[in-house]
Amino acid sequence: MLISLNWIKDFVDLPELSPKELGSLFTLATAEVEDVIVKGDSLKSILCVEIKSLKPHPEADKLNLVTFDYGGGNLKEVVCGAPNVRVGLKVPYAAIGTTLPNGMTLEPKKIRGILSDGMLCSETELGLGEGKGGLMELGSDVKPGTPLPEYLKLESDIIFDVDNKSLTHRPDLWGYLGLAREFAANHKKPLKNRFNQEWEKKIEGQFNKALPPVTLDISQDSSCLAYYGLSLDIPKMGETPTLIKTRLESVGLRPINLIVDISNYVMVELGIPNHIFDRTKIAGEKISVRHAEKDLKFQTLDLQMRDLNPSDTVIFDTEKPLVLAGLMGGLESGVTPDSTKLFLEVANWEAHEVRKTSVRLGLRTDSSQRYEKTLDSNLCYRTLLRIVDLISELCPGTTSVGGPVKFVREDKLSKAITLNISHKEIVSSLGMEIPKEQIIDIFSRLDFKVNDNNSVFEVTVPTYRTTKDISCKADLIEEIGRMIGYDNITPVSPMLAVKPVRLSAVKQFHRKIQDFMVLQGKSLQIMTYPLTGADLLTKAMWPVMNEHLVLVNSLSVEQDRMRPSIIPSVLEMVSQNQKHYDAFSFFELGRSYLDYEKERSQLVIGLFSKDQTRFLELVNTIEKLFSALNVSVNLGPKNEKFPNPVVPSQWAGVHPDEFLNVQVMGKYCGALTTVHPLVLKNFKMKGFLSLAVIDLTDIEAREVKDKTKYSPISKFPSSSCDFTVVMSKDAPAAGVITALNSLKQKEIKSKAIVDVFIMNETQKAVSIRTVFEDSEKTLSAETIKDLEHKIVQALDKAGFPLRS
Amino acid sequence: MQVLESLLDNFKTELNSIQKIADLLNLKSKYIGKQGPLADVMKNIKDATPEEKRTLGSKANELKNTIEALVSAKMLELETEEINQSLLKNKVDFSLTDTVLDKGLQAAGLHPVTIIQQEIEDIFISMGFEVLDGPHIEDEFHNFEALNIPATHPARDMQDTFWFADKKHLLRTHTSTIQVRGMKERKPPFRFVGPGKVFRCERTDASHEMVFHQLEGMMVGENVSVGNLIYFMKTLLTEIFKKEVEVRLRPGFFPFVEPGFELDIKCLICGGKGCSVCKHVGWVELLPCGMVHPNVLKAGGIDPEKNNGFAFGLGLDRLVMMRYGIDDIRHLHSGDLRFNSQFKTF
Repeated sequence: MLISLNWIKDFVDLPELSPKELGSLFTLATAEVEDVIVKGDSLKSILCVEIKSLKPHPEADKLNLVTFDYGGGNLKEVVCGAPNVRVGLKVPYAAIGTTLPNGMTLEPKKIRGILSDGMLCSETELGLGEGKGGLMELGSDVKPGTPLPEYLKLESDIIFDVDNKSLTHRPDLWGYLGLAREFAANHKKPLKNRFNQEWEKKIEGQFNKALPPVTLDISQDSSCLAYYGLSLDIPKMGETPTLIKTRLESVGLRPINLIVDISNYVMVELGIPNHIFDRTKIAGEKISVRHAEKDLKFQTLDLQMRDLNPSDTVIFDTEKPLVLAGLMGGLESGVTPDSTKLFLEVANWEAHEVRKTSVRLGLRTDSSQRYEKTLDSNLCYRTLLRIVDLISELCPGTTSVGGPVKFVREDKLSKAITLNISHKEIVSSLGMEIPKEQIIDIFSRLDFKVNDNNSVFEVTVPTYRTTKDISCKADLIEEIGRMIGYDNITPVSPMLAVKPVRLSAVKQFHRKIQDFMVLQGKSLQIMTYPLTGADLLTKAMWPVMNEHLVLVNSLSVEQDRMRPSIIPSVLEMVSQNQKHYDAFSFFELGRSYLDYEKERSQLVIGLFSKDQTRFLELVNTIEKLFSALNVSVNLGPKNEKFPNPVVPSQWAGVHPDEFLNVQVMGKYCGALTTVHPLVLKNFKMKGFLSLAVIDLTDIEAREVKDKTKYSPISKFPSSSCDFTVVMSKDAPAAGVITALNSLKQKEIKSKAIVDVFIMNETQKAVSIRTVFEDSEKTLSAETIKDLEHKIVQALDKAGFPLRS
Repeated sequence: MQVLESLLDNFKTELNSIQKIADLLNLKSKYIGKQGPLADVMKNIKDATPEEKRTLGSKANELKNTIEALVSAKMLELETEEINQSLLKNKVDFSLTDTVLDKGLQAAGLHPVTIIQQEIEDIFISMGFEVLDGPHIEDEFHNFEALNIPATHPARDMQDTFWFADKKHLLRTHTSTIQVRGMKERKPPFRFVGPGKVFRCERTDASHEMVFHQLEGMMVGENVSVGNLIYFMKTLLTEIFKKEVEVRLRPGFFPFVEPGFELDIKCLICGGKGCSVCKHVGWVELLPCGMVHPNVLKAGGIDPEKNNGFAFGLGLDRLVMMRYGIDDIRHLHSGDLRFNSQFKTF
C-alpha cells in the first residue's frame, strides 16, 4: 500500500523529521516501510525557458544550435535535435549537473564538436508521461526562469510503500484516517478528526423528507452485514480538482470522472469501499441482495465475463445483476460523465465470503482487499455522509432525494469490548518497567478508553479494532509494546533452574550414522526431494506408486506425490552424477512415506563405479556401521517365504546374486543389492551401483545400551595353527568360519581366512588361521592337539575336508 | 713402538678404501685377529724389558681399541649406505595423492544444511533447549487450527499449502507444528527447538524452494518476557555469526504470536549503510518471533493465565546460503555432487 504523507497531513501535523526518520519510526511502531519515495523533488532544478534564436549545426543537418532566455534576459546555447523546436517556444531546461528522474545525470558533453550547455527536455525525459514527441511545450504565459514544478503546480510529497501483508490484521489502517491515528500516536501529536457529531448533523441537514426512490430487499442469508443507500441529484458533473487527482495518482489509482474519483477518494480516506450507481440504470428502482443463481453470467467493469455460482453474493435490480458484492461493479450500471441521478451505496460484507469469491475468480480489487480484512459496519454511515459532503462541495446545487435507506445485521455488528489488564501483567510480559501514566497515555491516543482501578486498567477498545484484531490481553500488551518501541526493551536472561539437556536418542543415533558415513564410509551426504512423480517411479520400475499420497495441488507431475522409497530419487541422482564422475560414494538419511501418519526414517547408502561392482565394499560398510552403532545385525540371502518390506522382491532392480537381507531384532528392515542393469538401462547408466536401504524407524526408537565390555589381556602365550580345506569353487569361502562358529571352545581366540587358492575348474583351497589361548594357564600340547582334532572334525562335518 | 704407529697408519689407509662389509670384516681380522700383526707384537712382548712391557702393552691395547672403534664406525656407515641403497630402489611416488589421481570422486562430508543445523542445535542444547521433530504429513489441526489460524483466516492465503486428496492432510508449511506436539507432551516450564523440512506450494527460482528447512523454537514458563526473547535471539545470532550483531524488533503479524515481531539484523555486508543485500535499508529481515498467543497455549494444553512464552522461527537455508555464499537455493536438494563435494569440513 502506498501512503502519501501530504494526505496524512490532513489529519495530523507531522514533526520536522527527514523522510527516512519518519519511515523508520513507522516501521518500528506499526508496519515495515519497504521504500520511501520522495516525489516532485527531482524536477525542482528544471527551469522554464524561452527560445530566442536558432541556427543549424555546422556538422549535422538534423541538429540546431538553440539560444534561449533562462530568466532575466540571460542567454545560454544548447545543441537540440527535437523536430518541434522554434523561436518563441517555451520549454523546460535541465542544466549541467541535473539528475533527471530516470537517474541520468547531465555531464558537459560535445555534440558533433560543439559543447551543449545542458538540455531542453521532453515529457518522457522528465517522467511526466508520453507527451506528443519532441520538446515539452509550455504555455506562452510562463515567465522564463520559473521553476517547472511551480509552473505545473507539482506538489512535492513523501510516499511510503508498505507491504500489504504486514497490515493484514489491521483493517483500520486501510484508510487514511486510521493511518493518521497511528502517526498521531507515534509522534504524540493530536489527531484532527473533523468527522465528528457536529459535522454529521451538518450533512444530515441536507437530507429532505421525500420518499427515497430506491428501495432495498436484502436476503438474510447473503453475505451482507450492512447496506446504506442514498439517492442524490447533481446538476452537472464538473472536472475533478487537481488535488484529488494528484492524491489518487499518488496512491496508484487512475482518475476517471468526478463521481468515481470521489468514490475512490473516500474509500482511501476512510477505509470503507463504496459504489455509486447511475440511478436511471437501476431497473425498477429496487436494490436486491442475494446469492447468485446457478450459471449466472456477469460482465464486470473490467470487461471480463464472469461465471458466478450460488456461493457469490450479488446486488441485483429487478432485471439484472449490478454488482458483484465487495468486489466489482458491472459494466452497465456505472456512472458516466453524463450521469446526474446518482445512488450511493456503502455496504459491508462477510470477509471470508468476499475472499472465497475473490480467490475463485482470481479477482482482487481495492475493495475486496479491504473487505477481506473484516471491516466495521459501524463506519458505513460516516462514509456515506463523507461522500455526500464531497459531492455537495464539488457539485454545487446537489440535492438529496429523501434520506438514507439502510439494512444492518445487528447480530453481527462489531461491539466495543472491555478488557481488564493489570499494570504488573504488562510490565512482566514486556520485561520492562513502564509508568502507569505512560500506559494510559498510549491507550488514549489509540482511541481506547481507560479506567485505572488500583493498577488494573479497564480498557475499552473501539469497534473498528475489535472486528479481527483485538480480543485479548496479549493484544493490549502489543499496543503498549510497539508504542514504547521494542528496541527500548533490555535483553535479559531468564532465571531458570539448571537442568541437564542432551540430544534425544534418535537425534544422537542419526548424528552417529552421519559421522560414520563421512569418516568411515568416506561418502557425501545428499538430500533429494521427498516428492516424486509417476514417471520416475515407473522408470525405476518401483512396484509401489503411492497413488494414495498424491497432492491435489502439485506444482508439476514430476513432483506430485510423496515418495514410497528413497531409491527412485537416488537412481535419478546417480544418473546425473555419473556424467561427471567415474566413481563416488554417497548417503541420504531421509524419509519414505507409506501413508498418512506412516512416515519411515530411511537410510540409503550408494557406491557407484563405472568399472567394477562395489558390493563387497558395501557389505563391509554395513557390518562396520552396525557394529559402531551397537546394533546386532544379520545379513542373509533372499528368502521367498518372508518378503522384505523395504526392498520388495518383485522390484526389477534386485540383483540375481549380489543381494543380502538386513535383519535386526528378527525383522527384515532393509537390504543390500547391486542394482540390476535392466533398471540402470532406463536411466541410461552404465556401470555398477550398489545400494543399501535400511528402514531405521524401529531401530532408532529403542534405547541402545553400550554393551562393550573389556576382557583382560591374557598373560599366557597363545599358539596359532593353520588348516587348509578344499571346497567347491563357487561356494562362499566364509562358510569355513561359519562351520567353526558351532564349536563352543573358549580357547579358540580367533579364526580367520588367510588365503583362498583356486585349484582347478571346480575346487578351491581355503586356508584358515586359528589362534588358541587360555587366560588362566599355558595351553598343554595335549589340549592343542585336542583342539586341532575338533576343528578338523567340525570342518569335515561341514563338508570341508582337509587338503591332502 | 714405531711398529705400532705405522701399523695404525697402514690400517687407516686400508680402511679408507673399504667399500663392502665383508672387506671390512676381513680387514678387522687382518689387523687385530689372532694371526694379525698386533697379535705378533703381543707374542713378542715377553722378550721385552718390564718397563717396555708396560708401555708396549698399554699402547697395543690402546691401538686395538682404536681400530675396533674405527671398524664399528665404518660398519655403521656401510650398513646405512647399504640399507639406503635398497630403500631407494623401492621408491614410492608420494606425490600421487588422491587429490591428483583420477580415482573418481574422493570427497566425503556432511550436507551443508546438516552442518548448520547441527551447529544451531548445539547452541540451543547449550542453553538448555531440547531438540524435537515431527511428521511432514500433518493435519489441519496441527498446521492451522492449533496455531490460531481458523479456516476463514486470511493467513491461510499467506501460506501456499500442499493438500492431499482427503482435504484433511497436508504437508506442513512451517515447523510450528512441532510446537503443538511439543507443548502437549510437556508441562511448563520447558524450552525446545524443532528443526526440519517444510513445504510450500510455490514456484521455484534461485531464492524460492518448495522444500526447505526451518528451525522452530519455543520457551514456556511463568513470567517469560519479551526481554527474555530478545536475550535468546541476540545470543543465538552472536553465536551463529561469531560476532556481536545489532538487532531490531519491529511489529510483525503472525496469528500464532501476540505480540508478534520481525527481528532484523543490521546488514553484515554494509554495516547498516545500505547495499543491495539489504535492499538499501541497512537491515536484513531474519526471523519472525513473538509471545505465544494465548489460544495457541490453550490448544497445547497450557493455561495462559499461569504461563506464557515466546516462539520464533528461523530459515535454515538462508543461513546456509549466507554462510557459504550459495547463489541458488535449488542446489540444496539437487543431489548434484559437484555441489555437495565442496563441503568437507566438520
